[in-house]
Amino acid sequence: MAVSVEYVTRETATNLWRNRLMTVAAVLTVAVSLSLVGVSLLLRQGVAQATTQWQNGVNVLVFLDAVPAAPAAPTAQQHTIYQQLVQLPYVKSCLYRDQAYDLGEAQRLLDPSAASVLNVASTPASWRCVLSQPSEAQAIARQFNGFPGVQEVQYPQKQIRTMETVVHVLDAVFLVLAVILLLSAAVLILNTIRLAIFARRREVSVMRLVGATNWFIRIPFMFEGIVQGLAGALVAVLVTVALHVVLDHFAGHNASSLLYRMRTPAGDVATTAILVGMIGVVIGAAGSAIGIRRFLES
Amino acid sequence: MIRFENVTKTYKAGTVALQDVSIDIDKGEFVFLVGPSGSGKTTFIRLLLREETPDQGRIWVAGREIAHLSPWRIPYLRRNIGCVFQDFRLLPNRTVFENVAFALEVIGRPRHVIEGQVPQVLDLVGLAGKRDSLPGELSGGEQQRVAVARAFVNRPLLLIADEPTGNLDPATSQGIMRLLDRINRTGTTVVIATHDAGIVDQMRRRVVELHRGELVRDQERGVYGYGT
Ligand SMILES: Nc1ncnc2c1ncn2[C@@H]1O[C@H](COP(=O)(O)OP(=O)(O)O)[C@@H](O)[C@H]1O
Ligand SMILES: [Mg+2]
Repeated sequence: MAVSVEYVTRETATNLWRNRLMTVAAVLTVAVSLSLVGVSLLLRQGVAQATTQWQNGVNVLVFLDAVPAAPAAPTAQQHTIYQQLVQLPYVKSCLYRDQAYDLGEAQRLLDPSAASVLNVASTPASWRCVLSQPSEAQAIARQFNGFPGVQEVQYPQKQIRTMETVVHVLDAVFLVLAVILLLSAAVLILNTIRLAIFARRREVSVMRLVGATNWFIRIPFMFEGIVQGLAGALVAVLVTVALHVVLDHFAGHNASSLLYRMRTPAGDVATTAILVGMIGVVIGAAGSAIGIRRFLES
Repeated sequence: MIRFENVTKTYKAGTVALQDVSIDIDKGEFVFLVGPSGSGKTTFIRLLLREETPDQGRIWVAGREIAHLSPWRIPYLRRNIGCVFQDFRLLPNRTVFENVAFALEVIGRPRHVIEGQVPQVLDLVGLAGKRDSLPGELSGGEQQRVAVARAFVNRPLLLIADEPTGNLDPATSQGIMRLLDRINRTGTTVVIATHDAGIVDQMRRRVVELHRGELVRDQERGVYGYGT
């Protein structure tokens, strides 16, 4: 039994045009909700990205008391600290950064007015350690804070945690909003389908009478919902990709900025786009399926 | 072609619409189903189309028992039955040609079949010249001819009509009856539910009478009222 492409296209287009206001409302709702989904997926990927970058790099920074002479090599006391560090089971290796290097880094990270008060004599040198078990950073920090010659122990996980908390909250808010909006989108689609069926009740009753199969009757309405879901998803994909491009632009090339670290590879963006598209189709299909069940059963 | 075997149909409200009705209608017959309003004629037709199922008894159409037909087969049953109603049931924003073509289109007939069969049947009902008119531009009689064309375009085994002349004046009604008679002579079984005594008396065909859901008369070459 042939359902011609021409027939389905024509009927679907007519239905969408007749209900264009409802259609626009449904498409916009899908677009907004799926944009939230897309952005929150990008955020997640960004956090994962930033976390791995940090964790593959340095896990613990042991800032040492500044030595006014700013030597290029560790002092004897600093060397002792190094030996204590590397004998710990989880410490893989530690690298010395002298005061001049740390000053340079601070000047890059801080804004110019804050950086201008720094000088090489008062900037601490540091041991930068890579751990085989990044989660041990906190324990090492506890152990070495207050150690003679140690100014402060920092571990980026602290920053990661804060960032993760912020992002998780955002994520949860976005997802709850997205789910609520997706449900309203499904209801809106259901409603446009109901209107379309109502507008075509004569056609539908004649179709029944002359022996059109249920699938033949349903397919144009089904397509109507799917087209709406897909259209909303396309808008959402555009929004997500645009946001990604804009963030990428602002991230610039500053390797230590948060945005830069959160940059997601294009492949991940594509995956997000595909996922968003699929959710759009599912929402459209679900909305119209319920609409058809409720209003088209004989 | 049609067989009812002890069919009883009661609606939810408790109205008994058909009571223990048994009847046989052979292929190629022309049958009037008569009786006053509420006697069960429409219910008889709805059972044939499987728009309703009987509470008791069995119904065969074209050799197939339909009371227990699985739902997905119902469309295929209906493709064998052409149907005409008092209110025509045309689609107002489609032309005569499109209305008739619609019946073929929605059962998946290819374009070239539609292009071939629709003009033929429009010719048969005498509306070849009005193929591009909208139903609103036609008289009641012409609209009913379009409905007959739509019912017949797929060459069904069975054509049923529920009060086909209910909205038409006697002269126009006669024209419709002549058309149904011509269709019957192509070998199509025709069943007409009506309380229009004029057309029944004029045609002198088999008359089956219902009264309060019971079959009270089955007569060859009968008239509307009792007796001959
Ligand atoms: N859908 C329905 N629900 C309840 N009662 C109905 C329904 N259809 C018909 N009836 C009742 O069944 C009886 C037979 O109706 P019907 O078959 O329409 O008779 P006819 O077509 O001869 O006028 C009537 O009493 C009518 O009120
Ligand atoms: Mg009736």
